[in-house]
Amino acid sequence: MNDDMQKQLIQDLVIESLEGLDAFDAGMLALEENSGDAQEHLRLAFRMIHTVKGSSGCLGFETIERVAHAGENLLSLLRDEVVPVDKPVITGLLRCSDALRDMMHRLESGETPDVVRHADLLQLLEGLQRSGKQEARQGYGFFHGAPGIPPKASSMESAPQGWGLFDEAPPAANEISIEASGEDLAVVEEAEIKEAADKSSQAAAGPRASESAIRVEVAQIDRLMNLVGELVLARNQILQLAGEKADASLIGPIQRVNLITTELQANVMKTRMQTVQTVWSKFPRLVRDLSLELGKKVALTMEGQETELDRTVIEAIKDPLTHIVRNSIDHGIEDPASRRIAGKPEMAQLRLRAFHEGGQVVLEIGDDGRGIDPAKILRKAQERGLVSSEEAGRMGDRDIVNLIFLAGLSTAEKVTNVSGRGVGMDVVRSNVEKIGGTVEVSSVVGEGTTIQIRIPLTLAIVPALLIACGSGRFAIPQASLVELVRLDPNNCARRVEWIDQAPVLRLRGKLLALFDLAKFLGFSGHATAEDAFVVVVEADGRKFGLIVDAVLDTEEIVVKPLHRMLKALGAFAGATILGDGQVALILDIAGLARRGGMVGVRKPFEAESMIEKHELESDGSERVRLLMTRVSANRVALPLEEVTRIEEISAGSIERSGPREVLQYRGRIMPLVRISDCLGEARTSGDASDLVRVVVCQLSGTQTGLIIDEIEDIFEESVRVERFGNERCIAGSLVAGGMVADLLDLDRIADFAGLKGRT
Amino acid sequence: MTKRIITVDDAATMRRLVGYTLRGAGHEVLEAEDGEDALRVLSQQSVDLVITDVNMPKMDGIELVRQLRALRDFKTIPILLLTTESDPEKKRQGKQAGATGWITKPFQPDQLIAAVSKVTGS
Repeated sequence: MNDDMQKQLIQDLVIESLEGLDAFDAGMLALEENSGDAQEHLRLAFRMIHTVKGSSGCLGFETIERVAHAGENLLSLLRDEVVPVDKPVITGLLRCSDALRDMMHRLESGETPDVVRHADLLQLLEGLQRSGKQEARQGYGFFHGAPGIPPKASSMESAPQGWGLFDEAPPAANEISIEASGEDLAVVEEAEIKEAADKSSQAAAGPRASESAIRVEVAQIDRLMNLVGELVLARNQILQLAGEKADASLIGPIQRVNLITTELQANVMKTRMQTVQTVWSKFPRLVRDLSLELGKKVALTMEGQETELDRTVIEAIKDPLTHIVRNSIDHGIEDPASRRIAGKPEMAQLRLRAFHEGGQVVLEIGDDGRGIDPAKILRKAQERGLVSSEEAGRMGDRDIVNLIFLAGLSTAEKVTNVSGRGVGMDVVRSNVEKIGGTVEVSSVVGEGTTIQIRIPLTLAIVPALLIACGSGRFAIPQASLVELVRLDPNNCARRVEWIDQAPVLRLRGKLLALFDLAKFLGFSGHATAEDAFVVVVEADGRKFGLIVDAVLDTEEIVVKPLHRMLKALGAFAGATILGDGQVALILDIAGLARRGGMVGVRKPFEAESMIEKHELESDGSERVRLLMTRVSANRVALPLEEVTRIEEISAGSIERSGPREVLQYRGRIMPLVRISDCLGEARTSGDASDLVRVVVCQLSGTQTGLIIDEIEDIFEESVRVERFGNERCIAGSLVAGGMVADLLDLDRIADFAGLKGRT
Repeated sequence: MTKRIITVDDAATMRRLVGYTLRGAGHEVLEAEDGEDALRVLSQQSVDLVITDVNMPKMDGIELVRQLRALRDFKTIPILLLTTESDPEKKRQGKQAGATGWITKPFQPDQLIAAVSKVTGS
């Protein structure tokens, strides 16, 4: 057998076996939980392990065959109800599948699996078989003369000839035909060889007519995706050229190319999608083993397994998710005794949920355990000098709980070998942020903890802000963008200042460290003080400002991998080709922060993060960032958290769809809501050329444009919302920047605009 | 003489291995993943020999034999069971269903080729 064929067969074996073993595990767990048809689970598991045994045996991997055989034997006793379904047996079988999995991985990396490593397991499986066999003696003749009772007797030894014919079996060729073909041999030889050649080439071309799915290598799909990326870029260039020097006869075909490319891109992206199930399928096993080990009772439920994510994203969230689940069982969920005392059912609930929300995927891990005690966290954080007492005073419970994502804060009273391994929640956060996601925890003491991870659907195409610096253009992923500030040398509040030769900006009463991009990149003659912009970015929980020359546009960019020479710089995350055919580098914000030694303020210290609406409405005051606008004579405030973008459009571009005013916005139709209508004010009339200011935000999951008259300012205030009347659409009044303003109630505006109940 | 043979197995590794061995011996090899799949393929193409696995999802090898024997075109075509088990019960069932014989997994390539030549008379 040639090497390629051998390699191909081994690869098939590994992929097939690993999939089979996952199904095997799932079957075992279902069996243990007594869910579904037990015989069906057993049949499936039996077939899986049987296939592993058969295939590996045929390829000459006797050790794998032996381990699989031992498992199969035990399983068949289970199937024939000779051995009862109990924890030791299931554990034994799961260990068997672990061992097989391990051997497959070794095979994959070119090692030869050895049996010594699994001698214990073989003994264990044998012992389990023996326990049942005593009773089985007469009842069943299954093992009579069969291979494997001592596991070293392989099936090959017991059937030396390897094949046979049944007596009086129907067909079978007779001796005559053999003789006949022998006689004719010389005559037909030439013709036959030719025929054989024809047929074998035919067979190679497509022997399987009836398959509806094929296996494709991931690398192949990646290559395809790359080519589609190239095609998209070429298409963008063609579109731009066509716009400039339009030859009428070309417009039609170009439009078609445009549409087909878009569709092609969408479809190729789809092939890279995998369901969350790929990661979650490992969890029932993990939860079982952990809860057994820790003596806890945990019921796992999973919702939304069919939610799809790009495989690169799936790859990246595997470890963070596993860590969170471990943490939850280890630290979050109490032992049955404590739960009884707390008046909770002994069986704890661990719930995994996945769903789409606003172009992102949300993954939620919730337990009904003891919850996180904010007082304890805060004490610990202060002990370790992570939070000053002044900061502590300003923090709400929610902010405190989110301190668990800080490096060096492990709250478990004692470090266990399950989750306390120095890999903390800070690693979870940095892993999630690496793929442009966010992670947040909410917890109620005594009731449980929920961790929410939000991640983008794909990493291949990301929305980015294009900026100019020196003679180059660069892209900054929107995910790390916080805000844009225009510098104004005449306004002391908008001017770069210097502390120890380090540039800083005073932003809403806080100092923001600045990073001079032009200097870093070696561009000269760039004025830091005049007419520049500061792009406030955030990475690894650090916030800092990048000084750039100009802010150009936002664009959906196709991320291209970088040559390793450039990658090693640690300043760029990739490259992209812009619509005009020019290359732009994508800035690696986290890398820049490290290179520039940016010691920014760590996120959880700023109480401005993550303020929920109900917290605003309560009596307590919270620091919050507000976007202040004017509508007629009213000053109207919006939580800046909710605002995606602010746009200026011409009144003429507003169109109608039914009773609603809409705007074509980034290739989609965006409903518009006039805040003046919500407030019962008369509309300000104007003509089509007038500029209209639109605040883009999410209302009930729909991207919506709120039309206001003027943008006034952004404040960060400790606000106290007070309610006087019961005006619709207004949550209450507050004082910001020394003046009274009305705080919009976005939820009620969604209601008012009839956007509720849409998805 | 070249024979057309179908190998029925849910494991791609096994199909490939059987295919490789028999193609190397000059035969033409079709493949199917399980009993149902095999019936579909065989409704469109005729073969000189069926080699089938026993344990398969959807329709197992024994049932496949039974169903094939019920078809006029397959009354006399040799059918071999490719099985890991020297389990007499499975063999008995296979024989009862009308299988011609069996080949034990794992097989040696020359064993397989010998069995095939014998049973197809090539």
